Amino acid sequence: MARSRNHEQWTSPPPFTQEEYVDSRIYSDQDIFEEELEKIFKKSWIPVCHESELPEPYDFRTTTIAKEPIILTRAKDGKVRAFLNVCPHRGNMLERAPSGSFLDGSPSGNPRHITCMFHAWQFDMKGRCVYISRQEEGYQDRLKKSQMGLRELKCEVYFGGFVWVTLNDQIDMTVEEWSAGSLEVLKPSLDEEPLEVFHYHKAIIPCNYKLWHDTNCEFYHDYLHYHNRITGFNDAYFARKNTGFDNGHINVGSFEVQYDNYEGSHSREEISFPHLPPNHWYMIDMFPGVNFNLRGSSLRCDIMTPLGPNEVMIEFRGLGLKNDDAVTRRSRIDHHNSIWGPFGRNLHEDLLAVTGQGSAMNPRAENRQILHGRHENETIHDENGMRHFYEEWGRWMDRMPSNPDKPFVERTTATSATG
Amino acid sequence: MSNADAVRDSIYRSCMYKDDMKWQEWLDLCDEDFQYSITAYSPEIRNDMIYLSGDREEMRGMMKMLPKHNTDHSPLKRHCSVYAVDLEDDGSMATAVSSVVVYQTQLDGINSHVDAGESKVFLVGRYFDKFRISDGVAKFVEREVKLDTRKLDKGSHYPI
Repeated sequence: MARSRNHEQWTSPPPFTQEEYVDSRIYSDQDIFEEELEKIFKKSWIPVCHESELPEPYDFRTTTIAKEPIILTRAKDGKVRAFLNVCPHRGNMLERAPSGSFLDGSPSGNPRHITCMFHAWQFDMKGRCVYISRQEEGYQDRLKKSQMGLRELKCEVYFGGFVWVTLNDQIDMTVEEWSAGSLEVLKPSLDEEPLEVFHYHKAIIPCNYKLWHDTNCEFYHDYLHYHNRITGFNDAYFARKNTGFDNGHINVGSFEVQYDNYEGSHSREEISFPHLPPNHWYMIDMFPGVNFNLRGSSLRCDIMTPLGPNEVMIEFRGLGLKNDDAVTRRSRIDHHNSIWGPFGRNLHEDLLAVTGQGSAMNPRAENRQILHGRHENETIHDENGMRHFYEEWGRWMDRMPSNPDKPFVERTTATSATG
Repeated sequence: MSNADAVRDSIYRSCMYKDDMKWQEWLDLCDEDFQYSITAYSPEIRNDMIYLSGDREEMRGMMKMLPKHNTDHSPLKRHCSVYAVDLEDDGSMATAVSSVVVYQTQLDGINSHVDAGESKVFLVGRYFDKFRISDGVAKFVEREVKLDTRKLDKGSHYPI
């Protein structure tokens, strides 16, 4: 007989294996959050922007990983490089704008240079220190420009022109190796011709970053979206596969979305991406907090920047083909934003849901179990994607997701990556 | 009422109707060829963006579908000041520029026990409107809501 539960029953483990649920403290504990920044976000490859955001020599873009300010530059040689956005002199942030060009001079410095406005030290696009004001008078021969270059970070442009950066000098794999095959399903569509960002907005949401990643990893929550129920929920939808890859990444397979079923909506079959069948929809979720979502005519990319145990900034980008004509581009924008824009039908619903989770998992709230125990033959409403993510998370953190006070223990039974 | 006053009257009435979620009354202020858009310039990607757009029927359809969607029911209230109204020489068409600040009073968006009743600025921007004027009535032909605010957090299902 169904019944409510008292405290002991409520906080007791569910009738699942320990891989099939997580302790809510992993979404709210300050110490765990700080540890995640050190052990995961400072060690991984993170895509921070798209190369179309700094298309010309001397363009720049600023961003942040794990609280570290970062600047990306495109030099005259066309190469995109990443540096800490920090002056080696007194630790000031070098560039304050989100993006722009160094072609023009700044009030404190010369054209074609990154200038610290504080004391006018200047750097070129390759991070070399090229000017120290009153150098000889102040430093005599004790300090040379050659010793004062910017801190360069490993940086790659990969997968449709996304710019990836890592704070980890010791990382022993390329982005391609890091992706472990998870990007292959969309590489033909994204690498055929150059892409361009047409949409950007950000949200700061009072929830843990993993709750947003969970939402991107599981489709059981399509019950939240009238649009997805009415345009999906058929045999082909329920046959979509969740597939796990090394390093905690997953794919969600495609099906043909019935856009016509939503009143006022129309098929998007006339506009697609190279090699993508019309109206199809693939999803890639990369550890620790990145999502690529190619749906019909537009590509969405979410990049999560954790700000606290109960706060995340999510940057939303929409992309089309760089060579789109005006009519095609406008259609892609409308298709993207009717669902995923800040006034779109689905994104608002998703953000409401994770806001509710964040509100119910405040730091020091009674710990509870969050269930990841659905098994549906690794198809769309199976929660194997989240289980796969948390297995990797436990490995990196050396904590059991179901009981973060205990060290991580590998599963003893042989299971596939998706199991 | 002068034609310029008719333009101001339509702008303010549109705010009242939207504040009260009287979507049909709002759309009745719009002509058949009405075009609506919410736009912003992104200094991040250095491009103009369109966050939402639709003609009159598309907006009507969007509002009709609202009950089927989960949404933040925290009401939005628009504080608008009409800055300038420019009439064409024959008085048949007009453009107007207005400032708009939208406040959101929390209801069910976060934890209602704590947050319900709190008002916050939801966004700021400007209305760029075009009107067709006939028999002293100014009907919207175009409304572009050009946002300054680009960090919209949960966003909204409601037109601005």
